[in-house]
Amino acid sequence: MFLKVFAFELRYQLRNPVFWVVSVLFFLLTFGAATSSNIQIGGGGNVHANSPAALAETLIILTIFFMFVTTAFVANVIVRDDESGFGPMVRSTRISKFDYLMGRFGGAFAISAVAFLTVPFAVWFGSLMPWIDPETLGPNRLSHYLYAYFLLALPGIFLTASLFFAVATVTRTMMGSYIGVVVFLVLYLIFGALTEFDPDLLLFSAYAEPFGGAAYEYLTRYWTASESNTQMAPFFGILMINRLIWFGVSLLALALAYHRYQFAERGMSSRQVKKQQRSAAKLAQQAPVVVDALPAPTAKGAAWSRLLARTRFEMQQVFRSPAFLILMLVGLFNSVAALFFVNQAYGTPTYPRTFYVIDILQGSFAIIPVIIAIFYGGELVWRDRERKMHELIDATPIPNWAFMVPKSFAVVGVLFSALMISVIAAIVVQTLRGYGDYELGKYLAWYVLPLTVEFAQLGILAVFVQALSPNKYVGWALMMLYLVAIITFSALDLDHPLYLFGQGINVPLSDINGTAVSSAGAWWVRLYWGAFSIVLAVAAHWLWRRGTAVTLRGSLRQVPKRLRSASGVVLLAATAMFVGSGFYIYQNTNVLNAYVPGDELEERLAEYEKKYLQYESLKQPSFTDITLKLDIYPDERRFLAEGAAQMINDTGAPVETLHVRFDDTNVQVESVEVQGATLEMHDEAMKYRIYRFDAAMQPGEVRALTFRSKREQNGFRATGNDTRLVHNGTFLNNGEFAPALGMSRSGLLTDRATRRKYDLPAELRPPKLEDTSARERNYVGNLDWVMSDITVSTAADQTPIAPGSRVSDEVVGDRRIARFVSQSPILGFFSVQSATYAVAERSDDGVDFAVYYHEPHDYNVEAMLNAAIESLRYFKQHFGPYQFDYARIIEFPGYASFAQAFAGTVPYSERIGFIANTTDPADIDYVTYVTAHEFGHQYWAHQLISADQQGGTLLVETMAQYSALMVMKSLYGEDKIRRFLKYELDRYLNSRGSEAIEELPLNRVEDQGYIHYRKGAVVMYLLQDRLGEARVNPMLAALLDRYRFKSQPYASSTDLVEGFKSLARNEKERQLVVDLLQKITLYDLQVRSASVRETAAGDFETTITVEAAKFYADGEGRETTTELDDDIDIGMFTARPGLAEFDAADVLHMQRYAIRSGSQEIVILTDERPDYVGIDPYNKYIDRNSDDNILGVDQ
Amino acid sequence: MLTLNGVTHVYPNGTQALSDVTLTIPKGMFGLLGPNGAGKSTLMRTIATLQTPTAGQITFDGIDVLQEPEKLRERLGYLPQDFGVYPRVNAYDMLDHMAVLKGIASKSDRKATVETLLNQVNLWDVRKKAIAGFSGGMRQRFGVAQALIGNPELIIVDEPTAGLDPEERNRFLNLLAEIGENVVIILSTHIVDDVADLCPRMAVLAAGRLQLEGAPNDLIAGTRGRIWSKTIAREDLPKHREQYEVISTRLIAGATIIHIMSESDPGDGFESASGGLEDVYFSTLSTLRRGNAQQAA
Repeated sequence: MFLKVFAFELRYQLRNPVFWVVSVLFFLLTFGAATSSNIQIGGGGNVHANSPAALAETLIILTIFFMFVTTAFVANVIVRDDESGFGPMVRSTRISKFDYLMGRFGGAFAISAVAFLTVPFAVWFGSLMPWIDPETLGPNRLSHYLYAYFLLALPGIFLTASLFFAVATVTRTMMGSYIGVVVFLVLYLIFGALTEFDPDLLLFSAYAEPFGGAAYEYLTRYWTASESNTQMAPFFGILMINRLIWFGVSLLALALAYHRYQFAERGMSSRQVKKQQRSAAKLAQQAPVVVDALPAPTAKGAAWSRLLARTRFEMQQVFRSPAFLILMLVGLFNSVAALFFVNQAYGTPTYPRTFYVIDILQGSFAIIPVIIAIFYGGELVWRDRERKMHELIDATPIPNWAFMVPKSFAVVGVLFSALMISVIAAIVVQTLRGYGDYELGKYLAWYVLPLTVEFAQLGILAVFVQALSPNKYVGWALMMLYLVAIITFSALDLDHPLYLFGQGINVPLSDINGTAVSSAGAWWVRLYWGAFSIVLAVAAHWLWRRGTAVTLRGSLRQVPKRLRSASGVVLLAATAMFVGSGFYIYQNTNVLNAYVPGDELEERLAEYEKKYLQYESLKQPSFTDITLKLDIYPDERRFLAEGAAQMINDTGAPVETLHVRFDDTNVQVESVEVQGATLEMHDEAMKYRIYRFDAAMQPGEVRALTFRSKREQNGFRATGNDTRLVHNGTFLNNGEFAPALGMSRSGLLTDRATRRKYDLPAELRPPKLEDTSARERNYVGNLDWVMSDITVSTAADQTPIAPGSRVSDEVVGDRRIARFVSQSPILGFFSVQSATYAVAERSDDGVDFAVYYHEPHDYNVEAMLNAAIESLRYFKQHFGPYQFDYARIIEFPGYASFAQAFAGTVPYSERIGFIANTTDPADIDYVTYVTAHEFGHQYWAHQLISADQQGGTLLVETMAQYSALMVMKSLYGEDKIRRFLKYELDRYLNSRGSEAIEELPLNRVEDQGYIHYRKGAVVMYLLQDRLGEARVNPMLAALLDRYRFKSQPYASSTDLVEGFKSLARNEKERQLVVDLLQKITLYDLQVRSASVRETAAGDFETTITVEAAKFYADGEGRETTTELDDDIDIGMFTARPGLAEFDAADVLHMQRYAIRSGSQEIVILTDERPDYVGIDPYNKYIDRNSDDNILGVDQ
Repeated sequence: MLTLNGVTHVYPNGTQALSDVTLTIPKGMFGLLGPNGAGKSTLMRTIATLQTPTAGQITFDGIDVLQEPEKLRERLGYLPQDFGVYPRVNAYDMLDHMAVLKGIASKSDRKATVETLLNQVNLWDVRKKAIAGFSGGMRQRFGVAQALIGNPELIIVDEPTAGLDPEERNRFLNLLAEIGENVVIILSTHIVDDVADLCPRMAVLAAGRLQLEGAPNDLIAGTRGRIWSKTIAREDLPKHREQYEVISTRLIAGATIIHIMSESDPGDGFESASGGLEDVYFSTLSTLRRGNAQQAA
């Protein structure tokens, strides 16, 4: 009997639309996350998309989402019979309560489990997609899928199923069950927030977290990528205990449900009876309005009320359906979580500015309206028929338009409402995060309206497809096909908006420049597909099956007649609009601009590399003086450049040919002239020219080069609309308009899979450290030290900025013209910016500091000025003179999110820093950190530049990190620095896994960010800590002196390594320098136990057992244990280091002790009672597990 | 006045649902009697503009129904044989919605329409209840209420009493009877009593053909003297079926009473019976069956 009930329930739920909707939703979510970067589940990261770790993370996160779904199934079991009135009939049969209740629960759980199978299936299916880079995939192993599904996901599904089954038996309503879900979720999130950042609670939460996520995380947190890619976390142990605990809880919940469930129909509670009596009495009091003759219909006058009533009715039907509720809950849960946690840098939140919030909504919520459009497209078409209402409705005198038109309006209305609800959720989150600048206009214009139009197109397509389909399942399948086709086409670079239905032009958002980059084009495309949708709607209207025995053929026969009706006129008008806008779009995307699909672009780059990379090591003259005249016309998005340069032959040998190239695809070269040379080869497509000097250029000889070039965007493009030259917030560098000499690797293909596709070596690695010839070139594209004179003009209401001292700045007519002249050599790499800016200025020690910012973004302007001033004070004191009399930070639109150091000039994206919310002292002040880093580059890059070889970025990026950390240390004190170090350390350890080629020691780093930024920061801090800041800085200053503004040979990482070695005072320090800079070294330092006793003298004697180990790793992450013998900090505290409130007053004792591999005991006397002890408590070492360094003291 | 002329319908799968139905239906209640599968619903749906016949004409008060279905719909009230409901919608709202569809544009008109009808069909007290929870009789009464919106001139009710208990059926038929004689009401049913009780005119449809048409009383009169009845033992039934044209059998208190049709006294214990509409109906069907059987032979 149990089995029969079970099987019945399973069959019943298979027909439940909820089953189909969620299967599709979870399939799409997972498939999208696995195959494109537009949809993100969890942290993503660097492991393979189908690795055990990715499977585990995806399945666990989606299991949490899935509770909305399991609840729908299990609560339906309880609620259904009461609603349908079927309950008493079933219950009066001879079936036992257990068979009945548990059979149905089992069926509902089974259907949840079946629906969730779409998730692992989608990962697997995604891994087969042709556009996936094979490097991001591992082998598909069945065991990984089974492990993740059966051991990680299913117990969680079982838990939520049982839990909310119990809730449903108590509340007996769907709504009540969902309130239970929300309460559970809130508790769960609070639990997560409380345990996440407290290392003491990690193990506890591994046991206590219901979905096994914390346990999995606990077991794998220090895994390298290769481990994550190949191994599953051991199940026996913590994970199994966690699962057993929660399986027990699930059984308890089921027992409760069984106990609470009344087999006999439960009488209403007295409260319900009263309520019902009251409403019955109220209803009874009302007398009907009775007329003798019924009013006559007014068929003509009823159009408006019919449209309104039909639309409202259709919308209500959607709003009241359980599937809609579930979809909205899942979407809101996802987006609210994202809104709370995602927009962080360095763990510090940003102010939830609307443009930023909209980006997040688009990523986290927008899939919901897609499903709504597709799902309810089918429902709207088939509902009357399925509900057997069609004969009633079809026989009424409503005109034929009153089917399709209100249904279309209803689709639009529902989508609009769904989007509005997400906006309200976003505004609530903004409010909760203490943000009050609500920009409703932006929400509407940038998010709700465009997306409503786009999704309505999808909805109408769905209705049209359904009108043609024999049943709604076929219709849904066709729509799924459409979605997969769209994803596939885009991934295969077939991405022109003219042939991809419903696909628009990407519109990047910015507070500074709004949607100006491409919104006009995007609206044209919306008009184009909107018109096409109207055509589809008319077609669907004509094919509408009114009546019972209507065939498609019959409807088609009617078409000629209907062409002459009003709908025919609409069709004609829409067709004209479709063709007209299509023509206009084609003019813009393919005539005024060139449409180059992504693969064609790749092919060009591959060919470029094959033809010209051979010239990379050809010795070329160097620029010495550059004069530029740059005119920006922001409104026309036009830019004119005119330049004259002097170059010197500093190669030491005669130069026969000069190679002149323009890298950027957007630049149009008008002329290039080289003194005393003729053009020998001109590759117009690739903008590569080879000149032959009439007489070879002799060593030391100087010649001139002049050029004219132009950038402009006419109309709009299909893809790649220019985000550099824009209406407000232009930010160009000379690589985007000016010529460069010789060949360089910049801009070549980097993706390994793409490179292989075009028969190029998978990667271009820099020359080895031992290759001394590489010191002839520097690593920043071999740019030269030049003197510059740049005149920039722009619209009168904008501020033009370029590197150099501003010698003039005036408005002439409607143009503002400013001239910037360098006073010392700068790297031949200039930024040009223009926007409407507010300016904050300050002077300090002969330097004019200025921050140019978008007026509403004034949050951190003062902090930036302070950071810049403090940085330069520190650098001047310790590194040497600052070469400029100005220091500028200039905000640019958030089409990219970085800050970059040009000579005394730091363009800074609006997405970082400017909108960071650093008001919580517990958060990392990355505004100061990033600013200090960029000003560090004024020394490490703009005074000393390193050779183009391994270790090149050590002297630039790592040293900028060091500079920033020293500024932070001087501002915040040594005891507060742990947070930065820990952040950098965790980033380093987490990123090692993603290494595609090989991990290298710092002195051989090959432009690997996680090494030169992350590891570099930790290593440099430890070095200055051990060798002494006061000794390290003079060594660095000497290095700067040696290489300041010098060309070949450029500085090498060996210079720095030798510098540090020269500071080592003993073997331990010398070994440390070797370990940190020349090897990949990992430590494992841990406090095993600590106990304290009060001595007779009233002191406190603490006995600490520490354990220590040291490992060398090779490039693939294989480790070998090696002997540790070093002096390492042991600290004693009254508060846990790393907490926001922790400061110097909490430190009782901090001293280095000789630490060797293995276990050892240390006894320390303090006059106060310590609460915490730690080995390397500030995380200065590269510690594989930095959380066990500190331990609470047993009292 | 509704006129059907040579209405023929063949479904795409070849089923001949209607053949050459020619019929004139005057004002007042008209009973369309026929067994299941006779083509009644096809005919009803065809008249209700829900499907187009393969051939034939239908006119109603000068409207060519097939050419201008929208004009007929403005005067039509239709209660289909089997209709469902939307979930989570109550009787009042649903009726209000139907009123909009029927073209009752103004709010006050709709209020008057909806409340009058709910009162009339005795659903006023349960107006705020979801129709999904209604009993069969309540649902049919709701069906009539929606069919009456806007004073239709042609009302089609298709098998309205199937599955109703006697009390509900009575209440329902009374409701129909009240509607009056100024409109055309076509009541399609397979229950003879529905027609006998209510309809001044009727027709019998079987196997897609019109078998019989007229006023029930005339038709009954036509059988006078031709219907004979006899009480027999159950085991004798096969023998009688062989011998006579048995048009109906009925069990009364354990005994089987058979009716046969015969122009003259068959003797053999048969007594003359006063025929009812049922005899008319069954004799028609049985004639039809015999005809089919002969054809087959």
